[in-house]
Amino acid sequence: MAAAKRKRRGVPATAAKKLKRILKDAGQPAKSPAVAGDVEEEEKDRIPGPVCKGKWKNKERILIFSSRGISFRTRHLMQDLRMLMPHSKADTKMDRKDKLFVINEVCEMKNCNKCIYFEAKKKQDLYMWLSNSPHGPSAKFLVQNIHTLAELKMTGNCLKGSRPLLSFDPAFDELPHYTLLKELLIQIFSTPRYHPKSQPFVDHVFTFTILDNRIWFRNFQIIEEDAALVEIGPRFVLNLIKIFQGSFGGPTLYENPHYQSPN
Amino acid sequence: MDTPPLSGSDSDSDDSLVSDRELQDAFSRGLLKPGLNVVLEGPKKAVNDVNGLKQCLAEFKRDLEWVERLDVTLGPVPEISEPQPTPQSKDQKKAVNPEDDFQREMSFYRQAQSAVLAVLPRLHQLRVPTKRPTDYFAEMAKSDQQMQKIRQKLQTKQAAMEKSEKAKQLRALRKYGKKVQTEVLQKRQQEKAHMMNAIKKYQKGFSDKLDFLEGDQKPVSQGKKAAVKGQQMNKGPSAKRRYKNQKFGFGGKKKGSKWNTRESYDDVSGFRAKVAHGKVSKRPGKKGSNKRPGKRTREKMKSKSR
Repeated sequence: MAAAKRKRRGVPATAAKKLKRILKDAGQPAKSPAVAGDVEEEEKDRIPGPVCKGKWKNKERILIFSSRGISFRTRHLMQDLRMLMPHSKADTKMDRKDKLFVINEVCEMKNCNKCIYFEAKKKQDLYMWLSNSPHGPSAKFLVQNIHTLAELKMTGNCLKGSRPLLSFDPAFDELPHYTLLKELLIQIFSTPRYHPKSQPFVDHVFTFTILDNRIWFRNFQIIEEDAALVEIGPRFVLNLIKIFQGSFGGPTLYENPHYQSPN
Repeated sequence: MDTPPLSGSDSDSDDSLVSDRELQDAFSRGLLKPGLNVVLEGPKKAVNDVNGLKQCLAEFKRDLEWVERLDVTLGPVPEISEPQPTPQSKDQKKAVNPEDDFQREMSFYRQAQSAVLAVLPRLHQLRVPTKRPTDYFAEMAKSDQQMQKIRQKLQTKQAAMEKSEKAKQLRALRKYGKKVQTEVLQKRQQEKAHMMNAIKKYQKGFSDKLDFLEGDQKPVSQGKKAAVKGQQMNKGPSAKRRYKNQKFGFGGKKKGSKWNTRESYDDVSGFRAKVAHGKVSKRPGKKGSNKRPGKRTREKMKSKSR
């Protein structure tokens, strides 16, 4: 198995250095200023670990899970999303017989405030729910054209858990339901700063574009400063069905007139 | 006859065009056929609660710093290859045809590019790092194994393309070479014919100038010949030809080629075990049909037969 995990320098090393410094101080009080000075210089040269510079304030947690009966492609997509979003939590498959508002309770138990729920019907259609858990709005989409991270045509790569740049189409500002969706997408997909599992670099960009009354999602890696990009994947297309005022229920705020059920 | 429910008709009576009474009249007159007369609903009106949406957004929106969200809303970078550099690039938004895959993907790419170009200076200002240092090792989204696979695939693709290109070029070259060769041969024939005519004329006494002998050396055709020969010479005689040349000689090659020295005695390269044991058959159809037995065997047979 090729070693996927490479050595990570950051917090453990600085902690070790601190220990050394304390021991040295205890041992040789006369020489301590010089030693401390050396150690500090070394620490300055080292790249700071992800957490030490700031405090994690934006407590956003996403629950990503699915119902039973999903295909392999959906499962891979779910795993890819979990990998790309370090502020996500996984859960076991839910039985489709349960009502949807049970999901709110699951979210509360896991202490999550957003949720992405994949629902597969008849082993063919995939529906995705995006919702803000306690009271907020939720939206149901039909997912099409799924391509996962593992496809060989997606040649880019990014750090696991690095923060994404989110790029939206100007069409998102034109209609009210799109502005609501934009806010929901921003809150879900942006990794909070100083999250313990995140990396401080911004090296990939998510694009959301509105085309043909659907939302197209792409993920690109930023190679050069002059905006040379390579696709990382995954990619999918969201076809909006409805927006509800409550989480997994409540009055319908918006219904997509262009949506046609796949059956 | 099924009358529509009275409550329904009462509530609809203000809006609908026909009421209960009128339906009955129409039926009695014979305009309505018996059966289920279904009230056709109008086209479904999609719910679009704009105020509700706005209110919801206002409640739900979180005022985070831009650094937390890192979002950009920008159109795509304008194409470079636009023929008319009109200033109204915002209005002139060519609707991207969603069926055209290439155009669509390019529009996404350009949107991402414009976002990156707009955001990088801002990030540098806020001192958020964007470039990963070369000694910073951390886990990547795709494993090394996966990247290796991708690299392999790209390499094989490239190699295949190059190979096909080369083959195409070779084919084209061969065609051209063949054409040139035939041209040269024809020209030679013509020259020869011309020469013979001139000689005959001279012999028969029609002309007494010997100019035709000098007009032979034309540098152009020789140059061409050399070029054609060069192309042909690379391949040389084929393997079969070379073998036959080697076996049956090639005009004086055999003189002094067989010596009875230690080297020639030790050289067993011409020994084929299968041939020696008589197991190789040159004709795949008939196997050993006319295998004449050796001298000893024949003598034995002769003595036995007697």
